[in-house]
Amino acid sequence: MSNSFIIGQYVPGSSIVHRLDPRTKMTIIFFFVIIVFLANSVGSYGVLIVFALLSMFITRIPIHYIVKGLTPVWFLIIFTFILHLFVTREGTVLFEIYTFKVYSGGVIQGFAIAMRFFLLILVTSLLTLTTTPIEITDAIEDMLEPLKKIKFPVHELALMMSISLRFIPTLMQETEKISKAQASRGVDFKTGPIKERAKAIVPLLVPLFVSAFKRAEDLAMAMEARGYHGGEGRTKLRALKIEKRDIFVYILFAIVIALLLYTRN
Amino acid sequence: MDITFKNVNYIYQQNSPFAHKAIDDLSFHIPSGSFVAIIGHTGSGKSTLIQHLNGLVVPSEGEVRVGDFLLTKDKKPKNMKELRSRIGVVFQYPEHQLFEETVEKDIAFGPTNFHVDAEEIKRRIHEIVPLVGLSSDFLKRSPFDLSGGQMRRVAIAGVLAVRPDVLVLDEPTAGLDPRGQKEIMHMFYSMHKQQNLTTILVTHSMEDALKYADHVIILNKGTKYMEGRPEEVFIQKEALHRVQLDVPEVIQFLDQFEKKFNQPIPFMRQSIVDIAKSIRNVVKGDASK
Repeated sequence: MSNSFIIGQYVPGSSIVHRLDPRTKMTIIFFFVIIVFLANSVGSYGVLIVFALLSMFITRIPIHYIVKGLTPVWFLIIFTFILHLFVTREGTVLFEIYTFKVYSGGVIQGFAIAMRFFLLILVTSLLTLTTTPIEITDAIEDMLEPLKKIKFPVHELALMMSISLRFIPTLMQETEKISKAQASRGVDFKTGPIKERAKAIVPLLVPLFVSAFKRAEDLAMAMEARGYHGGEGRTKLRALKIEKRDIFVYILFAIVIALLLYTRN
Repeated sequence: MDITFKNVNYIYQQNSPFAHKAIDDLSFHIPSGSFVAIIGHTGSGKSTLIQHLNGLVVPSEGEVRVGDFLLTKDKKPKNMKELRSRIGVVFQYPEHQLFEETVEKDIAFGPTNFHVDAEEIKRRIHEIVPLVGLSSDFLKRSPFDLSGGQMRRVAIAGVLAVRPDVLVLDEPTAGLDPRGQKEIMHMFYSMHKQQNLTTILVTHSMEDALKYADHVIILNKGTKYMEGRPEEVFIQKEALHRVQLDVPEVIQFLDQFEKKFNQPIPFMRQSIVDIAKSIRNVVKGDASK
């Protein structure tokens, strides 16, 4: 698997960010996403950037890995910036490219939006980088608990999520294996006209579906054999627990919000 | 085709926290026409090694030479398709690669990709199907209606129909019943002899390696641990045990025999009948015959 795209990729570690309760991380990110849109001054952006970069350093995941992993996103960020540069017409004219006038408001607006984008993606990818998919589903199941009152199938939803997350790497391995086998039989996935390449997908997809269905059947059988009967009365091996460090992080985040509101204009 | 590995290194997911060296400074030479067994514990780099042979992966360092094709980090051969048509790879559980509506179409898939003309493909199919132990009644059936063992045979036929010069087999008999295993290995061996193929067999079975190979390479943690003729390699019990490998049963037997009777019978790849004769001679106290 040579993909450099890191969103959704978990990197094991033992930093404090890794060990936080997943509910804490998700709550904080939920509020972070909201407060990013409150920032409107240099100071308030500064507060958010410091918070995001600090969290990033604390995870102890190699920086170059995160930077490289965000490569596909850099493009989007730069694109947003340039778009704002040309579309916003506020403030004074700074310079002209051909017939396009670039306004000072455009530069500021472009920076602000690109920065929001960057912060959002950085912080949310920190969640998936430091939290296993299983922890995330556990947290979701726990946080959606109140919905059970209105007969919402919370447990089933969480189970479906964790099963699909669990099988993403398996299916990727399978895809790689089958594509290698078909490449050995002369399929060319990488070059040639689009029409030929689209056709080359069939020998990849058919075996993949066949094995996915077979896997699903096997899994269902294995679950039943081990007495699975839905979420009723089921206890957890890894119960989620709020620790001191979680409370500490909540307080820290409250300070960040306070600082942000203070520096806002 | 001659195959040469020269100081090959291969690193998975280079420059990431998941970087992992699968092949570590590996060099060897396989002369054209030989039958080589590659043996190693799980995770020793066997499967990565064979992917170098038809350019599915290229070495992170060092070079791989297959016939006239040279593969290095920066230089892939331009005619990759030709290389792949000359190296036939039977992957582990090859039945997972079946996808066509009929057995016939699936066998024809490889040769069609390599631009063999339709008449010739038909001829090859009718020649190969009985060789892999199927009958022509199967040709119009869906591969997904067949049993696991039959699917395996169809997949193998699909690789053989390309008529490669080098046959690479990655545990081709795993999961088959004992009789099927024997039949399939026998088929590969006779094909190897008749068509003068170069065959590379990745296996866990010491018995198969001993029976068919004329050269054995033992891998451990991505490096070459031992290499030589099977009868030389397989008698080194301690060295093999150190990398969690066992010696073949015949050799274990002769070893125990020597312990009990204080009379060695050197192993020279003799048949079971010959071993029985030697044993009779020892037991009758007439070792000279």
